Amino acid sequence: MNRSQLDHILKAHHRDAYLWARQCCSFEDEMAKDVLQQAYLKILEGQAKLKDASKAKTWLFSIIRYTAIDELRKAGKVVSLSDSYDPVEIQEEIDSTDYEEIIKHLPEMQREVILMVFYHQMTIAQSAEILQIGLGTARTHYDRGKKKLKELITKVQIQEGYGK
Amino acid sequence: MENNEQLERFFDQMKKQDEHLEIPAFPEVQTRKFSFWIPAGLAASMSLAFLFIQEPAPVESEPPEVVIITLQADENQNQHFTIEETTFLDTWESPTSSLLSEY
Repeated sequence: MNRSQLDHILKAHHRDAYLWARQCCSFEDEMAKDVLQQAYLKILEGQAKLKDASKAKTWLFSIIRYTAIDELRKAGKVVSLSDSYDPVEIQEEIDSTDYEEIIKHLPEMQREVILMVFYHQMTIAQSAEILQIGLGTARTHYDRGKKKLKELITKVQIQEGYGK
Repeated sequence: MENNEQLERFFDQMKKQDEHLEIPAFPEVQTRKFSFWIPAGLAASMSLAFLFIQEPAPVESEPPEVVIITLQADENQNQHFTIEETTFLDTWESPTSSLLSEY
């Protein structure tokens, strides 16, 4: 695949790629921009090669995710895997329209699967490919994430109801 | 059939909010890859420059190492010494060869 074909693919997915980079960087705009730039460099320098053009979005998302993990690790913001299994309890009051803040309360893997399926319209199998985990594991994250997010949304709505 | 209405509504609203996000322009990425043509071009121009700049070294004439002294008689039978300086000898005659024939 030559440079102009890669350029074309990247441009076609640029908006989604930026939004995904942002979601991988805890919704931090500047970090997301850096991550995206680095991911594009990796691709255009040939460090990451696309073998199947039909899987371009999955491939791009995977590169962005790993680049974001590296950046977060450098910034000392990586949560260990064991910590990421238990959802963070909501202590403070959250606005029910602060979707980013609500979703940030989900454990990392659940958050990523849920975002890929519901926000980016991907399948659980594609999510598993991006996260490089088995389909069964991805399905477990999906089910738990869904359940937890529903609980969080309800909790925030109840908190808001009491506040009024 | 999954009941995901609540979640779908949540993400629809989140997407609507994200429509107001400023998406950065697609960056003009300059790859850091070191092109093969750069070192090749440098090597080619350096070798050309080397060929043009290099002047032919002057051929130094070797210092004369051989002095040939000959005794020659002119038409009046007067004998003259001629002295020649050269780097080599065409023929060589032993200085003592005359002893063999004359004695």
